[in-house]
Amino acid sequence: MTHLSSETFGQNARDALRDPILHGALRSLADNFVERRRAAVSSVDDWEGLREKARAIKDETLLHLDKYLLRFVENAERGGVVVHWARDGHEACGIVLDLVNGAEAKMVVKSKSMATEEIHLNEALESAGIEPIETDLGEWIIQLAGETPSHIVVPAIHKTKSQIADLFVEKVGIDKTGDVDVLTGTARRILRRKFAEAKVGISGVNFGVAETGTILILENEGNIRMTTGLPKTHIAVMGIEKIIPKFADLDVFLKLLPRSGTGQRLTAYQSLITGIKRNTDDEGPDEIHIVLLDNGRSRMLAHPVTRQSLACIRCGACLNACPVYQQVGGHAYGSVYPGPIGAVITPQLIGISKAKQLPYASSLCGACREVCPVKIDIPELLLHLRAEIADGSRANPGRKKQFGEMVAFRLYGAMWSNARLYNFGTKASRLMQRLIVRDGKIGKAGRFISKVIPPLGAWTAWRDAPAVAPRTFREQWRGKLESNDGN
Amino acid sequence: MVEVLRRVDCGVVFDERQTCCGQPAFNTGYRREAQKFAKRFIEIFEESDADAIVSPSGSCTAMVKHFYELFPDDEEWRKRSERIAARTHEFCSFLVNVLKVDDVGASSSGRITWHDACHGLRDLGLRDEPRRLLKNVKGTEFVELQNADVCCGFGGTFSVKFPEISAGILDNKIEAIEKANVDAIVSGDSSCLMQIGGRLSRIGSKVKTMHIAEILASQE
Amino acid sequence: METRGTNINENARATILASIRQSLAASERLDRVRSEHHHASENRSSVGEQIRPAISQDALIENFRINLESVGGRCVIAKHENEASDYLRGLISRRQMKLVATSDSNLVKRIVESITDIEFIQNASTDVLFECDLGVTGAQSAIAETGTLVLESEAESHRLTSLVPPVHLCILDAGKIRQTLGEILESVGAELSPTITFITGASRTSDIELTLAIGVHGPAELHVIVIAD
Repeated sequence: MTHLSSETFGQNARDALRDPILHGALRSLADNFVERRRAAVSSVDDWEGLREKARAIKDETLLHLDKYLLRFVENAERGGVVVHWARDGHEACGIVLDLVNGAEAKMVVKSKSMATEEIHLNEALESAGIEPIETDLGEWIIQLAGETPSHIVVPAIHKTKSQIADLFVEKVGIDKTGDVDVLTGTARRILRRKFAEAKVGISGVNFGVAETGTILILENEGNIRMTTGLPKTHIAVMGIEKIIPKFADLDVFLKLLPRSGTGQRLTAYQSLITGIKRNTDDEGPDEIHIVLLDNGRSRMLAHPVTRQSLACIRCGACLNACPVYQQVGGHAYGSVYPGPIGAVITPQLIGISKAKQLPYASSLCGACREVCPVKIDIPELLLHLRAEIADGSRANPGRKKQFGEMVAFRLYGAMWSNARLYNFGTKASRLMQRLIVRDGKIGKAGRFISKVIPPLGAWTAWRDAPAVAPRTFREQWRGKLESNDGN
Repeated sequence: MVEVLRRVDCGVVFDERQTCCGQPAFNTGYRREAQKFAKRFIEIFEESDADAIVSPSGSCTAMVKHFYELFPDDEEWRKRSERIAARTHEFCSFLVNVLKVDDVGASSSGRITWHDACHGLRDLGLRDEPRRLLKNVKGTEFVELQNADVCCGFGGTFSVKFPEISAGILDNKIEAIEKANVDAIVSGDSSCLMQIGGRLSRIGSKVKTMHIAEILASQE
Repeated sequence: METRGTNINENARATILASIRQSLAASERLDRVRSEHHHASENRSSVGEQIRPAISQDALIENFRINLESVGGRCVIAKHENEASDYLRGLISRRQMKLVATSDSNLVKRIVESITDIEFIQNASTDVLFECDLGVTGAQSAIAETGTLVLESEAESHRLTSLVPPVHLCILDAGKIRQTLGEILESVGAELSPTITFITGASRTSDIELTLAIGVHGPAELHVIVIAD
């Protein structure tokens, strides 16, 4: 069960690019989801207005997060919910473990929750001898495979039907089949028993409404309704940024999230839970616990650029739109959250030094910003993190590679900010390039040149490089263009 | 670009002191260096009383629009940045939105298509302008490229920090270009043209790359 | 029921709140700088504050039907409760259903009264529910623009009856249909039940190669009988 690390993103990416099965799966994801989202968005009259409104709601909430959080807790507790505060993942796992032990449960059913992935809850439960059963089909598949999710919404997207069928043959004992309905039916059959037996159900939360203390959880499969409806104890792990101020605000987010995430107008089920049942004979759990998770989120509030990370509603649209994610998939990022949003929150959650490559794993094309339902400016965030990293290497010019880059940029700064040096540089490179230019272009650089000028080696591995023009614009301007100006 | 602007009765001056807008430094996180470039740019162009500053690059223009971000602690420089940014235009945008011209009397030949450079498209909102200009180039047939608005994979230092990913993204673009069966691919950013052209050249493709200013200047 | 020391929880709460407040204070200056540059959008449309044109009940029923069917639900319009009973009886006999669970809704009670050759189990235990072929509930309201059923736990015990059996049949009074989600949120928000469930079509997933599979953990079929008298 070795999972990839963010620190080796470059190598992870290279490995991923060599995987033809992954390539096919990602191609299909891109074709499918991009189109679905486009169609769903066009079914809304004023999509832009909706995004603006959602972002405004999030901004207001985050700017007064303490107030709204307290209001949420007050209202949730009034309904009989027990609220726990967890400063970090370790503390959160401890709280959940205590509750599970308190319920004398040896097995728990879990619905899909990125927050529980973030705190590595399953590992913590297993270490304590408790068996967590993932019930979302995609999550169950990767649990069987001993893998981590590679996408926020479709966790097993990297696996083909055939691979999944083989997995079921091995782990579940059915015959190999190519019928998706049979595979799904198998999951249903096996997991139903677990729902019935489990004493504890653990879920995440999509939105927590401050005004009423309501938590809303949405899904398509029905496993969340099972997880939160059948066992006697329901534990919900909720990032503190999930708060929205008013019940009516749900309208905006329910219009944005399903469309952005899966191209649906609404997912099959939304469960709005406000307090515990009022009579002992009523359906539903006897106890509901909400574990509020900080784990670095409160720190992100400290800068307007990083604060927008907390607006994320985990729709996954940015992943689907990202040309980099489309090439390498989720595992390459080596983090719980992959793709564009992953590239910006992972360094903030686990520390920049452990995820230094991620902010650079982007061409800054902005496709993510375009599709984000809450208008998070991810490129702005990436640039912010890059500046932090560059400042860091200025302060600690440790690693050789970064030192070289820093020197190169200092030089560029010094030379190119002086017109005479700039012109000299152009002329000099025009002279020196004669060594490597053939037919007006620079072909694949040999090993020596690649060592001396690594970027040239990297570029010419796939592309020719153009030669410096025989006459620069300046020379042309001085030549005749200037005098030809009629004015 | 100069030729085209003069053709539509726009006077052009070029200040030779200019060097770089500093985008590579900004994008790689070296804000101190980027700030130096920004200040230089602002100082030089403030001296000009021209009505507009026009650039043949969407990404450079976008950088100018973002200069203010380099001065979080200096209100005066922020204001100067915003004033310069207000006068700065990308070439196609200048022609269509400011000069209100979409036919510059250009003529060429062959099937052409357009690649939307990311900064131009998403930072500056350029989508219709270049297409309108290209469709008026006499003697050419304009075709819409599939996924024209998807990145070419350049991304500045990204192309050399993660060259394999850059190449993968680029291959999708090349595939679309080959499917479009064109003679030339046109774009507004030389970096994209270098990325796309570099690969086309390596695979021995006959497809030419052209900057939009080139084709608009053409009167063949 | 504190299994964790109350003190520890209080400490955690205090720490988190302090961290939030500290961070927000630190960003104040930069927020001011940014708001200089970003002007509030002038044409911010008033989403959700639009004047809603009055929609006739017939149009609401039709909208509901179209949207329910677009997500694979089956919609039947009945002019009287008798017709609803007929449909239900037909479904049970066609599929040779043996065990049918019902919620505690009075409307459902009336509808199933006339169907005598089968036993309906109200408030079935979990074990029995897992054996049932069909679950019958009502709904407190519905959303026409998405074909969604809205069920509130204080009005009706619906949670498991509408979830566990492989087929869910819902009997809906046409007068309860509203056009938009916003209207429904307004009405349920007034008095919140412990659980409110929105149901839009059958249970589904695309987790395997993005191929749609219907009927995962929830019902594979959803039938809605709209009683429009």
